[in-house]
Amino acid sequence: MNGSLRQSMAWLHTWSGLLFGWVLFAMFLTGTASYFRPEITRWMEPETGQPANYETAITGAVAFLQQKAPNAASWNITLPDERQSVVRVAWRPEAKPGEPPRQRGGRGGRGRGMDATLDAATGQPVQPRETRGGEFFYRFHFQLHYVPVLYGRWLAGAFAMFMLVAIVSGVITHKRIFKDFFTFRPSKAAQRSWLDAHNVTAVLALPFHAMITYTGLVTLMNMYMPWPVMANYQDSQAYFDTLFPAGDEVKRSGVAAAMTPLPAVLEHASQTWSGGRPWIVTVNKPGDANSTIEVSRHSGDKLSYRNGSLTYSGVTGELLSKSPEPGAASTTGSVMYGLHMGRFAEPLLRWIYFLCSLAGCAMVATGLVLWTVKRRQQLPDPARPHLGFRLVEKLNIGTIAGVPAGMAAMLWANRLLPLGMANRSQWEIHAMFITWLAMILYACFRPAKQAWTETLAAAALMVALLPLVSAATTQRSLLSAAQQGDWAMVAFDLTLFALGGLIGFCAWKAARYAPRVSAKRVRLTEEAA
Amino acid sequence: MEPKSRPAKRKGRKGAPRLEVAVRATLAGPGGYAGASLAAALIARILPGPLAEATMTAMLASFAIYAGLVVWSFADPRLSRVLLGFGLGGAALGGALWFSLQMEPRL
Repeated sequence: MNGSLRQSMAWLHTWSGLLFGWVLFAMFLTGTASYFRPEITRWMEPETGQPANYETAITGAVAFLQQKAPNAASWNITLPDERQSVVRVAWRPEAKPGEPPRQRGGRGGRGRGMDATLDAATGQPVQPRETRGGEFFYRFHFQLHYVPVLYGRWLAGAFAMFMLVAIVSGVITHKRIFKDFFTFRPSKAAQRSWLDAHNVTAVLALPFHAMITYTGLVTLMNMYMPWPVMANYQDSQAYFDTLFPAGDEVKRSGVAAAMTPLPAVLEHASQTWSGGRPWIVTVNKPGDANSTIEVSRHSGDKLSYRNGSLTYSGVTGELLSKSPEPGAASTTGSVMYGLHMGRFAEPLLRWIYFLCSLAGCAMVATGLVLWTVKRRQQLPDPARPHLGFRLVEKLNIGTIAGVPAGMAAMLWANRLLPLGMANRSQWEIHAMFITWLAMILYACFRPAKQAWTETLAAAALMVALLPLVSAATTQRSLLSAAQQGDWAMVAFDLTLFALGGLIGFCAWKAARYAPRVSAKRVRLTEEAA
Repeated sequence: MEPKSRPAKRKGRKGAPRLEVAVRATLAGPGGYAGASLAAALIARILPGPLAEATMTAMLASFAIYAGLVVWSFADPRLSRVLLGFGLGGAALGGALWFSLQMEPRL
């Protein structure tokens, strides 16, 4: 555009990164947290027990459903894996005469009062405190909040495109991308150091950042890019039926028949999958002679997120059919989805995902700070910056400290809000945004350096004190978790301490920040005087 | 130092007129989406093999096409070339798509 390719790409990189950098930071941080979504949910529902295996869970779930909804049109059972301690069940009543028999997709009764959460070990309903749990961070990062879900997804998709363009333009503009990989000069002039920090966090995990951005767009591509479907099909339902074959509607025979024991069915499924895990079990027309049991495979068993299903007779337990093998393109799409979700990742790899994702947050944060550091040196009067600069600086402080503080605030609210409060889960969420907004407002009323130090220190305290708040207000504490062998919750509290320490370290550095002014700036100042 | 005389047009940093930036951004953002959508629709129709697979492949590739169009909108030093590219390219893709739909209607 203006000047060389590298210059125009630098311009594009700056603006595509800056315009929505603050929302992207929030999306990245909540997405980072989502790699531990079940652990966050368990922490926020201290009334639930420890993870149990699916063999135990299925018995309790079936007993509950048989007692609660014996004549339902279908049962839906989401089995726990080794990270979850609850079974989520739902049931769909028989369609009334005149109503369409079965709708594809939908939530099978969930959210309409026809669902329940059971303890995985005992099969008894649990009544955890009303909370969205880790689900909220996960949903926020791709559909935001306070806007209708569709608009939120469109906005998130648009922001993700800005991110993708920022990544591509960043790579093009980066001169010595391999050599600079190993370069970090903290004692150089400020702009150089912040640039190095931005480069390290961006380049070190560049494959991750590129992958996560592209696969994120792919997961919602039916919404963002429906045109190929519309170009090939008059009715998009035909396309989805090809990808996700429904199987014929199971017709009720009217003859009652005892249901085959499900543990044996799950065992057979697991063996058919060479040791794979069952995930969602759907029983069609339970108690009828025609009933079927559809067992879908855990999305974390392979890189691909969708791993097919097996359909069994509900009466005899014999295998009736397998879902068809998907084609190459479908598998590619499923693998992209799986890469983004990271459900396949074993604990070590999951932590690597988490660290790479944190590096992504640091990339966005250092980029935002770099913009102000660079522009500050070019201000004609550093004591009176122009409006755009002030806006960026305040938003930087308020967001980089405010989003972690807000996420911590939600967990504080989870422990402190009265259990019987109306709209309790919504108020936990409000706590996050109120805190974020408060940090932005605080940054508007303090000089920049003090604002950085104070907001980061506040965020650090809010995160690090959480384990203590938890111990003081619930039965669950670091010590009690260790005694019960609940190592996930032990690790959770320790991670909170570590993250609080990390933010505290940033606050301490901010307090001591005395950037070396470049020789060029000194010269300009002297010339102007 | 004497202040430089200001040119009549408002210039951004390094001299690109704001109008040019606005034109490029409009081509890149909405134009890039339109271009990627047209290209993806055409790819879905042209690729051999099962229909659902071709459709999926086109959707998977579309975001890379979009990003490429955005980068090109700002990378090409000649704005006239970008305008021409979007105009002619859009017309060509649209025409090819229309023609393809005439030859073989949708499923």
